[in-house]
Amino acid sequence: MRNNSLRSKTAGQTFFWGWVLILPTVVGLMVLNIVPLITTIYQSLHKTGDFGRGYIFIGLKNYEKLFSDKLVRQSIINTFKYTIIQVPFSVFIALVLAVMLNRENMRGRSAYRTIFFLPMVVAPAAIAMIWRWLLNTEFGLINNLFNIRIGWLTDPRFGIYSVAIIGIWSDIGYNMILFLAGLQEVPRDYYEAAELDGANVIQKFASVTVPLISPVLFFVIVTRMIAAMQVFDTIFMMMERANPALAKTQSLVYRFYQASFIVKEIGYGSAIVIVLLLFILAITAVQLIAQKRWVHYS
Amino acid sequence: MKKVGTILLLLIVAGTFLFAGGKAETVKSGPLSVMIWDSNQEPGIRKIIDDFTAKTGIEAEIQVVDWANYWTLLAAGAQGGSLPDVFWMHSNESQRYMSNEMLLDITDRVAKSSLIDLANYPADIWSLYTYENRYYAVPKDVDTIALWYNKALFDKAGLSYPDASWTWDDLYVAAKKLTAPDRSVYGFANQSNNNQAGWYNLVYGNNGYVLSEDKTHSGLDKPEAIEAMKWMERMILEDLMPSQSVMSENAEDVLMQSGKVVMAMQGSWMVPSFRDNEYSYENCDVAELPYNARTGRRPSIYNGLGWAIAKNSTRADDAWKLVEYFGSKEAQLKQAQLGITMSAYVNTSEDWKNSVPKFNLQAYLNMQDDMVIRPFSKNTVKWEDATHDIMLKVWSKEITMEQGMREAARITNEILADE
Repeated sequence: MRNNSLRSKTAGQTFFWGWVLILPTVVGLMVLNIVPLITTIYQSLHKTGDFGRGYIFIGLKNYEKLFSDKLVRQSIINTFKYTIIQVPFSVFIALVLAVMLNRENMRGRSAYRTIFFLPMVVAPAAIAMIWRWLLNTEFGLINNLFNIRIGWLTDPRFGIYSVAIIGIWSDIGYNMILFLAGLQEVPRDYYEAAELDGANVIQKFASVTVPLISPVLFFVIVTRMIAAMQVFDTIFMMMERANPALAKTQSLVYRFYQASFIVKEIGYGSAIVIVLLLFILAITAVQLIAQKRWVHYS
Repeated sequence: MKKVGTILLLLIVAGTFLFAGGKAETVKSGPLSVMIWDSNQEPGIRKIIDDFTAKTGIEAEIQVVDWANYWTLLAAGAQGGSLPDVFWMHSNESQRYMSNEMLLDITDRVAKSSLIDLANYPADIWSLYTYENRYYAVPKDVDTIALWYNKALFDKAGLSYPDASWTWDDLYVAAKKLTAPDRSVYGFANQSNNNQAGWYNLVYGNNGYVLSEDKTHSGLDKPEAIEAMKWMERMILEDLMPSQSVMSENAEDVLMQSGKVVMAMQGSWMVPSFRDNEYSYENCDVAELPYNARTGRRPSIYNGLGWAIAKNSTRADDAWKLVEYFGSKEAQLKQAQLGITMSAYVNTSEDWKNSVPKFNLQAYLNMQDDMVIRPFSKNTVKWEDATHDIMLKVWSKEITMEQGMREAARITNEILADE
């Protein structure tokens, strides 16, 4: 009966209520995402004055400058390096952990789940401060424990890897929770069938688990890639301006921050994020096309 | 029923916006907002504000934001029209803020004030906050640079302490002796981005300059500047200073307070840090900077902060009362006596010197004999930042000092041409 009453509503009413209900989201999106996006594109074509005054149109000059800027070019390499290391490891380790923590006969399952998820609950700034002290060359716990002198965060050869490891560590818990949710959907029959066929643990993982949670896997990889391309907070918190490893570690977003907020060349900073946006769009588009080959929607 | 629902929903949405606006309005009738960047000075400034509140009944709240984020936050506030009522100004940024009319013009208020008399503060400091003959901030403090050293480590090495008779060569020789062969202790430390309290002093001591007086070109590629900086290059290449990695992770004062470094140049604003640390309070003391043997000069790059008011402050009169009080003889004396930092007001330095009897703060006062105002232009931050990127390479031993100085001058000149 209630279905009937719903249907009896006129199309106009449905239309009206539809808009009213999505209004908060639309307004939020417009104010927080769409308008800034357009402003950023606008700014990237201008030489901006102090405090957002006196814009001078300079066409694509900011973009030209960008590709001859050694620091920006290096930061593009750094960003990709970080993404290539951080995403696969944080996804793979989380997936393996999720499968292990999904076994019903396991003892202390929720304790483990909580421990792995903890980094996600802690403020990123706090994480960065703790790691910064752990990795300090002179006074750090890690160097003093093993009696070594490695500039984890200051040696240009290691900086990006240290930052990536912290990125992996802090993302594992979040990815794991998503995988655990995906694993709940996998029917037990498939595993029983696989066992009857004599499949071992690794075969079950590769031939049953991975294909069946591939939609979740795809979602995690896409969102993690986007997040990794935008890495900023750990670098910002852990590396001082005078850090000799900064040039070989700083990401595009860090470069954007430096240009827009420290040197206050907002136009140039905007051009940097637009380039980042294009990179992310391209990568995501490729993933969306490629997923047709490996993601199975049941 | 449905219509009522619609109206309710719209009201809620509209109310959210109204509420967001209303909240900002109410804040303005609360205490005055004060923003500073040095947490070492916060307790002392708070005491001065308490005195002010007791006198006038006007309350003020301090917010401390560290140096790097201070300017980001302030710029955002300036652009969004929500600057704090009262805040510190620095010569690196004052030109931009004054020329863009972000600061309240206090010229007439100063003229009328019975507490503030221009003659009682160094003219150089007023000049930092003067734009087109109008004043935009009241001088808060002055600073000079001196050499801190660790007495215990000097005693251990059997060397005599630094004093006014030292040349830069003496410092080099001592640093060499003090640096442990296994590099567990270093004789000296000067971070690549410590310019005002660090390497600028060397450049000016050798009659070089960082910025020409008409602010049109850099002096870093001039022979005097390069020659002066070769001294620093020697310290870098002979590992008499910790590596750039170590110095970037731990500030110079931290390295001294942990006994890793024996000597470092520090501004007078760092005294509270050395006073409040038990180890440095017991073991460290301060002397004049060495002098340049060729020129006989011992300059100190100096600077002074100013108390500024936001132009769009809705409580400009109250804010002025606070700033006027900060600049008054009473508060300036208190600032000196509490050892917060050296005050800008004339004849307060003796009080500051006596604030920590254990340290030879007279050294800082002696440095006032040859003072050079910290170089600044409209876009100081831009060329300082670019210069630092290059100095970082010199300190990391990637390029020579001479290459670095020439490159820094070239980039600075480009930026200045654009001003």
